[in-house]
Amino acid sequence: MSTFTFKIVTPERVVFESAVQKATLPTNTGEITVLPQHIPLVSRVIPGEIRITDAQNTEYLLSVSGGFVQVHPGKIVILADTAEMSHELSEERAHDAHERAKKILESKAGMTDRDVASMQVLVDKEMARLKVARKHKERGIRGGLLK
Amino acid sequence: MPQASREIQRRLKSVRSIKKITRAMELVAASKMRKSVSRVVATRPYADAAWRMVMSLIPKTNPSLHPLLDERKVRKAVIVVLSSNRGLCGAFNLNVIHKALQLLKKEGWRDDQVDFITFGKKGAQILASLKRPIIADYPKNDVTASISEILPVSNEIIEGFIGKKYDEVCLAYTDFRSSLRQEPRIRHLLPLAKPSRFLGQVGEAPATDGKDVSEYLFEPSKNEVLEALLPRLIEVQVFQAVLESEASEHSARMLAMRNATDSATDMIDDLTFAFNQARQASITAELAEISSASAAVR
Repeated sequence: MSTFTFKIVTPERVVFESAVQKATLPTNTGEITVLPQHIPLVSRVIPGEIRITDAQNTEYLLSVSGGFVQVHPGKIVILADTAEMSHELSEERAHDAHERAKKILESKAGMTDRDVASMQVLVDKEMARLKVARKHKERGIRGGLLK
Repeated sequence: MPQASREIQRRLKSVRSIKKITRAMELVAASKMRKSVSRVVATRPYADAAWRMVMSLIPKTNPSLHPLLDERKVRKAVIVVLSSNRGLCGAFNLNVIHKALQLLKKEGWRDDQVDFITFGKKGAQILASLKRPIIADYPKNDVTASISEILPVSNEIIEGFIGKKYDEVCLAYTDFRSSLRQEPRIRHLLPLAKPSRFLGQVGEAPATDGKDVSEYLFEPSKNEVLEALLPRLIEVQVFQAVLESEASEHSARMLAMRNATDSATDMIDDLTFAFNQARQASITAELAEISSASAAVR
């Protein structure tokens, strides 16, 4: 199985770097899936989930809150504002944070357009985290039953 | 006890308390250094990756596509000087300012062609005493926690450049190589279209990543991607430079304080020696007096 290098970095750390077969990520023109031999591409990443399948056919989930992606020949680099692996997320915490962000956005009291926009980004980001955390949980249960 | 040894004792006491203070400051600087070093090391991969991404795009991009790529004759340049808020860190601040002033000579800019933006109190003070034009002085927190703290600076340079107030923007900062070695450096930030001038920098790597790529596909459009990516890159570069400077500052201070502590130790040794000599001399003198007095009586 041919693979390519996948790397996702945030200002805090290198979140994940490995050889993968396939990567699916949300961009502002829709979700794209990158396979080996993809043409060179540059695009913006929007808040959402990233799914990658590594050489051992293990699938990983990540949540991402926006950034940029550059596809080189044989390599994909994502510069994310923040990103977490699914096992680093807790569903409850993501849920609470999402609710909190939504509430602040709804009240909108004394906020400029800019604040509202940045809150909207926050809501999207927490939403992405929540989604990834839920998925991870479901898979965890299924995986457990199979054993 | 005679006057001389009392005098020495007073000095001994004050040197001892100086030593205690410098020792404490060294420890504080060391712990701050550890923190800022771990932060600077953590953000390096991101800054590098962002830099490489842009560098691999620029040669294939038409400079007219984005105002930040616009290369024009330099009528006015601005140098952003990153310094510390506090002193007692050796030649740290002077070095970076020296480097900035050297750049003027190297580029052949006249003094009135160059404005300064300072980030950090000490740099502003030194430049003001040198009568250099400071057009903006941004307050710096002692610890820069998040990238949002440098946004005022990056916004000013981006807007100034797009508004043609400045034709070139450079960043003078101190690169953190190790806790014993910090190097003042200049980074040409804008215009971005001068890749040759970016060589020889932190994390240096050839701008091209592996195989040569003839053309990138931009989604949704080249403009839109560059519009978002380039300002972000400037922010990241400024942020990284601030973190590098902070780590350097604390290491420079730690070193300066260690040197001060060492000199205090030497001084204490010298003074103790002088004190003991003076004490012994007075005892000998007293003994001589007593024995000569008793000899006279007999």
